Amino acid sequence: MKTEAVVREKTASSTSQEYIEILGDTVVPSRLLLSVIISIVASLGCYFLGKAIFPAIASEKMVPSYSLLLGIGGSLVALVINARFFTPSRVLTEAETSSEGFEEILLDLQADPKEEYDLIKNDPVTRKEVEELGILETIKRSGGK
Amino acid sequence: MSVLMISILLALAGAVLFTLIGLVSGTDETAIMVPFTLLVILLGAPPEAVFSFFMAAVLSKHLTHAIPTALMGVPGDTTAVPLIDHASALRRLGLPHVALRKMLSGGLIGAFIALPTAVLFGQFLGQFADFFKASSGLIFTLAAILIAYFSKGKWVSVLMIIPFAFFIKSIGTYSFSLTEKNLSISFFLGIAIGPMFSDILISLSSSARKSLVRSQAKEYHLAPENKSWKGFFPNPFRVLTARQTAHTAATSFVSSLTFAFSPVGMTSLMGEIVSSRNKGVYKKSTSSLATMNGVTESTYIAETVIPLLAFGIPLSPVALGPASPLFNAPPVFTSDPVNNLHNMLTPWDFFLYGLIGLLIATVIAYPFAMNYARTATVFVMKHISQEAIVGMFIGLVCLLAFHEAQLVGVMLTLIMATVGGLLNRVLGVSSGVQFMVFYGSTYMMAKLLGA
Repeated sequence: MKTEAVVREKTASSTSQEYIEILGDTVVPSRLLLSVIISIVASLGCYFLGKAIFPAIASEKMVPSYSLLLGIGGSLVALVINARFFTPSRVLTEAETSSEGFEEILLDLQADPKEEYDLIKNDPVTRKEVEELGILETIKRSGGK
Repeated sequence: MSVLMISILLALAGAVLFTLIGLVSGTDETAIMVPFTLLVILLGAPPEAVFSFFMAAVLSKHLTHAIPTALMGVPGDTTAVPLIDHASALRRLGLPHVALRKMLSGGLIGAFIALPTAVLFGQFLGQFADFFKASSGLIFTLAAILIAYFSKGKWVSVLMIIPFAFFIKSIGTYSFSLTEKNLSISFFLGIAIGPMFSDILISLSSSARKSLVRSQAKEYHLAPENKSWKGFFPNPFRVLTARQTAHTAATSFVSSLTFAFSPVGMTSLMGEIVSSRNKGVYKKSTSSLATMNGVTESTYIAETVIPLLAFGIPLSPVALGPASPLFNAPPVFTSDPVNNLHNMLTPWDFFLYGLIGLLIATVIAYPFAMNYARTATVFVMKHISQEAIVGMFIGLVCLLAFHEAQLVGVMLTLIMATVGGLLNRVLGVSSGVQFMVFYGSTYMMAKLLGA
């Protein structure tokens, strides 16, 4: 069940790679700069392109809108290019359902496993729900002693 | 094409786009909603369609951002932060799919309760609109002080209001002398991307970067697949117990009326109330998650609809942030004088086109999140890097700023993002305060300096 390190950085010096945390995720600084530059060039480039070609084919008042649309297209193309160039540096681990038992977790959450089981057992609605999930037995084992 | 068709198409576009964006954890709503909504407005979409798009986008994003919250224990965005504890408890017990289903169902119920409530309440408040419009400058100033005091920075935020207003007016006046235009989109974008931009700046500074340097890539722990329902479109009322449905409905209704408070604050408050009324980890967590996601949804919708319908000036945290383009996107919409959705749509329009947006989001985002949550998460995590995402937003923002005022617009956006972002990151002056000061700056400077 465990597939560790699905995504790994492929840098020459993968051990000493420095990351910067931006908006809650890690990035490689040099790549981020490149990515921003590519994106700005692509979106503004397409915008200028639109300003240049649309006057010949569209009505005057639509030129700004169409150019803007082309600019957005450019930024999406940049997104695809950047996503291909710069693979994510995240590490994705598929956690097992629970390596620790139900009981330990409940205790860790400062709950009493027995009380938890009784509460679920004595409430028909929740009991049915938990039964459908197929975890009633697990809860019973942890707290029904 | 008829207005109705355009609305449906744009709502579809908004739903698909924001369903995907929601999968990216930690995305800040303001930074994302503002550029895209501005694009739709500036591309010349009719006001009805703009509203449908916005509603579809908000609901889709809120539904799918429950995915990273439930499956990885990473907040989907700021409004998901209060849900993390309960979601993590269920995740550790091996029940992340339960957390996700409860959140999604709660969110749907909250949204459909909030829209009619907000429309009716907005109409009722509309009778005081003249008073609000006449004294909007004063209201913004008072609101800025109030929001500042309750922001992370507290006193420093209050202290920064006047100097910040002076700064805004100064660069605004200089830009006006260069372009003959009163810029506002560039200001907005700058404030919106401030936090993201200041991170980039800090990373470029050899003296400041230490705080952001990490020696290892961020690790994400993904819960295993676990589907336990049949069919493609699970009935939200069957996912929740009758009691949970009632709690979600009641809290969503109440929070629809409190349009001046912060969504995150309301979410925490209502979550606490419901949590205290349930016993046992399982029941507490599932009930709280349903309620809280319902409340984030209803505050979001109400905070957008009520100020729009009643006043036409942005008088709520959401109206100042993510929904700000609906109030102010010159030359199409302006909030001073009021010429935006407020004058262009009737209450009935708000209800109808809002409903179109919500329904389309429901049809797209809800089954997607229910059936493909894990597959989609793995795809995004493996193939779309944070570098590419941040790059795209900076690119879009430069494009929009350039569209408003060429190089002057880009300059203004970048300096605004720098100052606003650092104020936000270092001193804790939130974007909400900054937006309020932006709106109140003309009034403040006129009163203080006679400018």
